[in-house]
This record gives sequence, C-alpha cells and structure tokens, in this order.
Amino acid sequence: MSEPLITFDDLAIGYDGRAVLSGISLAIARSSFTAILGANGSGKSTLLKTLLGLQPPVAGRIHFASPPVFGYVPQTVELDSLFPLTGFDVALMGTFGRVGPGRFPPHDERQLVHDCLRATAADGFAQKKFSRLSGGQKQRVLIARALATRPDVLVLDEPTAGVDAAATHALLEFISQIHAERKLTILLVTHDLPLVRKHAQQIIWLHQGQILHGTVAELFTPERMAEIFEMGVG
Amino acid sequence: METLRQILSPDFLLRNSVYTSVLIGFACPLVGVFLVLRRLIFMGVALPQISSTGVAVALSLPLWLGLDLSGHDSQSTHMLAFAGSIVFTLMAILVLAFLERRGRGLPEGRLGTAYVVAAALSILLLSKNRYAELGWLDLLKGEIITVSNFDLTLTAIALALVLVVLGLFHKELMLVSFDRTLAATLRKNVVFWDALTYLLIGFTVSMAVLSVGPLISFGFLLIPPLTAHLFARTMRQFTIFASVIGGVASFLGFWIAYQWDLPVGPTDVVLLGIIYALSFAVKKTTLLFRPKSPV
Repeated sequence: MSEPLITFDDLAIGYDGRAVLSGISLAIARSSFTAILGANGSGKSTLLKTLLGLQPPVAGRIHFASPPVFGYVPQTVELDSLFPLTGFDVALMGTFGRVGPGRFPPHDERQLVHDCLRATAADGFAQKKFSRLSGGQKQRVLIARALATRPDVLVLDEPTAGVDAAATHALLEFISQIHAERKLTILLVTHDLPLVRKHAQQIIWLHQGQILHGTVAELFTPERMAEIFEMGVG
Repeated sequence: METLRQILSPDFLLRNSVYTSVLIGFACPLVGVFLVLRRLIFMGVALPQISSTGVAVALSLPLWLGLDLSGHDSQSTHMLAFAGSIVFTLMAILVLAFLERRGRGLPEGRLGTAYVVAAALSILLLSKNRYAELGWLDLLKGEIITVSNFDLTLTAIALALVLVVLGLFHKELMLVSFDRTLAATLRKNVVFWDALTYLLIGFTVSMAVLSVGPLISFGFLLIPPLTAHLFARTMRQFTIFASVIGGVASFLGFWIAYQWDLPVGPTDVVLLGIIYALSFAVKKTTLLFRPKSPV
C-alpha cells in the first residue's frame, strides 16, 4: 500500500456531540479507489461530511498528509432544478475556489472547464439547461465540475442513484478510467456491491455501528460476507 | 400620449415619485431572484410586513418617550422610519433564516405567524398614535405621491449599493444558494455569504417598504422573478429579465395610474399580475406547438 493520504485516528462521528460511529481508525492511500458501503442510516453521509470538513468530529481527528483539494460530486437530487443554469455554468463553479470574490473566472479557467467537460464526454450537452439533463448526463457534468477544482481526492456520493443500468456501467467505467489516468484518490459512496467488486480496491463497510476495512479480496470472501450479514440478522 | 409627455417632462410635479417607483421596480426583483431560487417566497411576504411594523414602532417611539415630532422635518422622520424598518427586517431575516437552516419545525407556520402578528401589531400601534395623521399611514400604505429630493437620493444610493454588491459577489451568492456543500469544500465562508445575501434582501426590502409599502414591495420581489423564470435559460438572463420587467412595469403602472387617477402601488401590482398571466399563457402555448424532439 502506498503512503496514506488520509488517516482517521480513533475518530467518532455524529451530530450534536452524540456519536453515530466511533473508534474509526484507518488510512486511505494516495491514488487508491475506495468504496464506502453501508445501508441507509449507517453513517456514510456523516462520515463524508466529517471528512469534507462540513461538520466537526465528535472525538478523534482526521490527519491529512498534505491538505487535499476535494472534488465533490453530490447526488443530483440535492441540487435544486429551479436554478436556470446550463451544464457549463454548473461545471464552472468548480473553478470558484481559485477565483476570488469580485472576480470573474478568467479565460484559462473557462478553458479548463471546457477541457473537463470534454474529458467527461459532457461537452455535447454543456449548453443545455442542467435541470433538463438526464441523471447520467448530470453526473458527467458534476464530475467535470469536480475535476475543474483540480482535486487530489474525488468524492462521489452515490453517483449512480437514479441512473439506469447502462448509464451506471458507463459512469463507473469512466470513473475507473480517470482514476487510472490521473492517479486521483477516489472515494465512492454506493450501495452497489457488484460495482464495488469490479472497480474498487479498498472497502470501508459501515454496518450496525461497526466499521470493516480491507481490500475487495479480503472482504468479498464467502466467509466474511456471511459474517457481515449475520451481524445484520443477529 | 399627452400624459406620457407630462410624466417624462423634467418639470413634472411628481417626477421624484416616478423615479423612486422605477428604482424600486428595477431593484426589488434583483434580490427577489434569490428569494425565489432559495424557495423563500413566504419570507418575501412576511419581511415587508415586519419591516412596516418596524416603521410603526420607530414612529411610535417619540410618542412613548413624550417627544413632540410635529415640528420636525420630513428627513428626520424618514431616517427614523428607515432605522425602524432596517432593524426589524434584519432581526427577523436572521432569526427566520437561522430557523430555516436548522430545518426543524414548520417554516411556513413560523412565517405565517410572523406575518399576521406583524400586520396586527402595526394596526395596533398606529391606532394609538396621533402622529399617524401626519401622513405616516400613507407611508405604510405605500402612497408614492410626496417623495422629497432627500428621499429619492437616499433610495438611489441604497439601491446602487445593492446593485454594486450583487454585481461584485454574484458568483459567491449564487454558489452558496445553489450548492452549499460545494461552497464549503471550496473553503468559501458559507455563513458570511449567506449573511450577505440576507443583508441585501433585508436592506432592499426596508428601502422598498419605506417608498412603496409592504404589499407593493412583495409584488416586486416575487412577480418579476416568476415571470422571468418562464423564459430565462441562464442566471444572467434571469436576473436581467426580472429587473427589466420590474422597472418597465413600475413605469407603465405609474403612467396608467396617473392617466386614470388610480393609486400607483396597487396599479403596479395588478399590472405585474397581468404580465405574469400573459407570459405564462405564451409559454404554455409555445410549448404546445413546439415540435417534439425525436426519441
């Protein structure tokens, strides 16, 4: 395993000082592809928010080898369709972290956004209204936006939710491709076990207040799977 | 056309009223856009009413303190009213926004209660205020008839300030409105930009209420953005269309009101309603006859 980029050190996460999950100690390697699995309410979103700095840990800490830039890809349902924005407008937001208040994105930043849209095969519909795009098209625009942040870590929150099977397959193939090409660290939150088996290297499995961490080969054995699901039954 | 020539004449007696009305018409939709996009339309109803309650409280203060304001000029009255309006609006918007962000309880219920209590309180305060007869009730109703040069200048400066801040920081205000999580991961100070958005809304509402009253302020905050939203493809189009619709409607409303001796504010709002209804019909008709794209 290469050097850790992110280390959770006896971390407890939750709301209003009450821990949902505690005792999280694990490391995420630079340039790795890690899937975060777990049922609804298992703490996936809380873990993600804590990692992104949107809410403080209840206890413990998160250590970064160097302060990373996160390219965050939200679920498309979180974005209000009322906003009259084109795909390009949405992707352009990825550059706002480098463009200070009172300034407009300069030409080179806009060019970068065009490049990112081309890289995600979203340039064909970038001038269309974002709210009118299909689920798969929106995800490609949002990944382009995340790439426009020039990220060290790409964080995808259930990117295949509401996306049909063919588009899901294409999307994950594409994410795997940019992971290989750009050596990005990928954190993917999902429910989809077959996708995880095919694309991820590491797994963080949140289940019944416990955290399992290991490689796909370690966790996806019949014995470990039976153990995990027995935890659920018991 | 003779009426139009009169209104456009530099010697027109009510020219300050025309200018103020048009300024409010252009400015209110600019912040109304954010109320609509953040789905805070009920806040747009409650805020102008709370603002006018602030005016009523401020104007009642001298009475409660035993001071006689009848000899004072309109500037000090206007400043006092503005202070009451801005203090109440900002306090209300910060409390309501904080509760809305916490996402607990019933936001519509809170806003409805704030609206109705504020309206009732205004009536109670003014019923016991002998200074109301000096024209303050007209101020609260939004009779845009007697606007002094001082009032016009104050309105123009305030609205120019709003325009400059919106122009400079539109990118940040739009980002925190559309995707707070992204804004936070880009290390933007979300609380600051949220507060600035609400400050701009509160400031504009306060100015508008003083000039045209709560009902008309709400009309200009809401209807032009809703109309513009039917046709706008981008944020820039949305903002410009909304502002132009508000400005043009306020001028046309003044013209119609002057021509037929009607109250200006209500004429403006009815005109905006007609424009919205016609735009909605045009949009639906266009969609009906648009060729379907091949599957």
